[in-house]
This record gives sequence, C-alpha cells and structure tokens, in this order.
Amino acid sequence: MREANLDGLGAAPRWIGMCLGAYSIADLLVLYFWSGAGQIFSMQASSDSISALPVTAMAAVNLFLCLVVLRGFPAGAPLRPAWMLATGAAAAQAVPGVMAQVLETDSLRTPLLTASGPIRLALLALALLPVLRILRGFGFWVRPSATDWAVSGIVCLFALCRFAEAGVASPAAGQTGLQHWISLAGLPFLCVLVLEAMLLRQSVVRMGNGPISKCWAALMGGIFLTGLAELAVWVVPHYSRVWPPALIEWLTRFPIAAVFALAPAYQVAAQRRATKPAASAPEELAAGVPALAR
Amino acid sequence: MHPSIATLVAFCDGEAGEDRSRRIARHLAKCETCRGRLRLIRSEKDGFSAGAVAQGVDTQQGLDEVLSAIANWRRSPSTAGASELRRRVRRHIETYFGFAALSVAERPGMRAEELPGRASEMLDVFLGPAAAEAVRDDALGGLACAGPEEGR
Repeated sequence: MREANLDGLGAAPRWIGMCLGAYSIADLLVLYFWSGAGQIFSMQASSDSISALPVTAMAAVNLFLCLVVLRGFPAGAPLRPAWMLATGAAAAQAVPGVMAQVLETDSLRTPLLTASGPIRLALLALALLPVLRILRGFGFWVRPSATDWAVSGIVCLFALCRFAEAGVASPAAGQTGLQHWISLAGLPFLCVLVLEAMLLRQSVVRMGNGPISKCWAALMGGIFLTGLAELAVWVVPHYSRVWPPALIEWLTRFPIAAVFALAPAYQVAAQRRATKPAASAPEELAAGVPALAR
Repeated sequence: MHPSIATLVAFCDGEAGEDRSRRIARHLAKCETCRGRLRLIRSEKDGFSAGAVAQGVDTQQGLDEVLSAIANWRRSPSTAGASELRRRVRRHIETYFGFAALSVAERPGMRAEELPGRASEMLDVFLGPAAAEAVRDDALGGLACAGPEEGR
C-alpha cells in the first residue's frame, strides 16, 4: 500500500477528509452527551456560535483552493468560466462568513448570511453549465434517466411546498418574512443544481475514479448534501420535536462545506501530480508490468 | 484493495498460485473495474497469441516471416514508439480520469494514432494547459518517434 503523502497542496483532499472525519466524530460525541444529558441544553442558543467558525474556515479553504485552481486555467481555457463562477460561489460563502464573525450587530449579520446562500447556489448553477457542455463534447454525458427526473422532481416539489408555506405565513411575518423570502430565493437554483448534479453523476460514472472525476463527484456530493439538508431542515421538525432545525443545520453545515472544498482540492491534487517531477511521482499502476499487460 | 496489473496477468496466465487465485477470483466477482482490466489483459493476450499462431513458426516459411517481421520492427522503431506512446497515454487517462474514461476516450472505430491527440485535448481542458503540457512531456519523454506534434 502506498504511503500517505501529506505534504503540500496535493494532499489537500486528505487534510479535508481528516478534518471532516474529526469534526464528524466530535459532532457525534457532542450529540451523544447531549441526548445523554436529557437535552437540557438549548441547541438553538449554541448552534450559530459553535458551528459558524469551522464552516467559515472551510469556506475560506475552499476559496483559496479555487483561486489556486483558477491560476491553472488562463484566459481562453474552456473551463476557466466554470472555475471563475465556482470561485465566486466560494467567495459568496467565505466573505459573508468572515464579515459575520467580525460584525457585532445581528441586523447586519443575518441578512448578509441569508443573502449569500441564494447567490452561492446561483453562481454554482451557472458554473456547472459550461462543465456539462464540455463533458458532453467529450462523450461523458448521457441523457437524463427516469431517476434523474424523479430526484429533480422531488426537489422541485419540495421548493413549491416551501413557497406555498411561506406564502400562507407571509402577511403576518414582517421583517423576518423578508429574510425568509430571501433564503427561499435559493430554492429554484437548488432545483436546477440537483438536475445538473444528476447529469454530472452520470458523467462521473463514465469517467472512473481519478482525481478529475473525484473533483466533479465532490461538487455533485456537495449539491446533494445541500438538497438533503434543506429537505431535512424542513421535514424533520414537522415530525420530531427532538430535532430542531438549528440542530440539523449544525450537523450538516460543516460536512457540506468540506465536501464542496474537496472539489477544488482534487483538482489541485491532479494539477500537482501532473507538474511534479517524475522521480517523485507516486507508484504507477503499470510500473513493473510486462508490456503485454499494459 | 485492487490487485495490481502484474497480479492480474499472473492470474490470467494461471501462475498466481492456488490461494492467491481464489482471492483474486473473489475480488473479481465484486469489482467491475478489475473485471474490465482482466478483459483488457485477456484481449491483448489473445491478440498476441493469434498473431503468433498465424505466423506458423513451425515451418521454414513461417520462421522466415517471423524473422522478417523482427527485422522490419528493428528498422522502424517508430511503430514500437507509437505503441509505447499509446500505452503511456492510456495510463495517463486512467491516472487522471479513471479506468472507465478509457472506453470514452477510445471511441469505437477510432484510429489508434488519434488517441494521443484526443487525450491531450481532454487533459488540456480538464487539467489546464500548464499541467497538460507537463503530462505530455512525461508521455513523450524518451520516445524515439515522439515528434512535438504527435502527442498534442
């Protein structure tokens, strides 16, 4: 088995994976002790302050890695627009996150964070369009299957339900209602993103498991997790008082940020693997194999 | 963990040993990637064997044909170089995209010499020009037939 190399940006996927693992274990432990303590502490009160910092840090890592990837795609490169939009999406999460840590007043912080979600989803939806076009050009794309349409349909149905619910509650909501509508603005983009992610999934399956495939698979995973988290935040509190929305958000926000950060991390890993000297290249699959088998 | 190509070749040749063969067979039963690799190895091996049989080396004429083929190969190392280039290109596609991408890159009916160009285009688009250039340099390094345009 190859030894794990944790030096340099090429090892970014491993670092992110380790952070995600450590955070998940810590989350589960906290959750275990919390339920053991009879849920006497309020998750609502602690969620923002506890989880915002790691999420912002991971978003900043995502932004940094996107910028590194972007440097590898000069003007005119077909994937440059996609990576520019992905960088914009990462910035839309990281910058408001940092500002929210700095700003003291909730009146500025909450709208900033609320508005960043739809902007990020819109930028990601736009970023995936050239990617899918290019994948199609190379023959990696196949027609959407019934499952793809079904999953997208479920997300669209969920969006409609959210809008209907907000429409009913809206007259009495006031300022909170406005913020709620801003946050709901991301749902149409989420519907588009899920359909794009389903198409991306088919392309990734046709590629295999190299770092470039993993890059797009990570983006796809981040989109699915975002959709699932949105769905869980809305559905679970309808059926269980034990799981308030803040708790679900607290559990899902960091993994989603980490999975999104894996996309540029794998791209950076692929670029580093290509440009590093041959002597330090990892053990090749075909090394020492008779010519017949190659 | 996937068996190495060398292990699969040994398995294919029946030289992997009893225990190891059983383990590999168990792994192959549940791993599509390794089944694909094994198919590729078998097809290459079959192609090689068919070529060898067709030569009919047990007659003087067959022996002359084999010797003539070897002489031709020696006179034109570019054929061996092109084959080596294709092998390297395949390895790079597998390294950066994945094994399944090989079947997309090598479209049915595509001429063998088109593969490096197509792979180069794929790497240019998905890795970026600088990284793709480095991969091209690696693929072309030490090849006798490697003209600058061949791998691009």
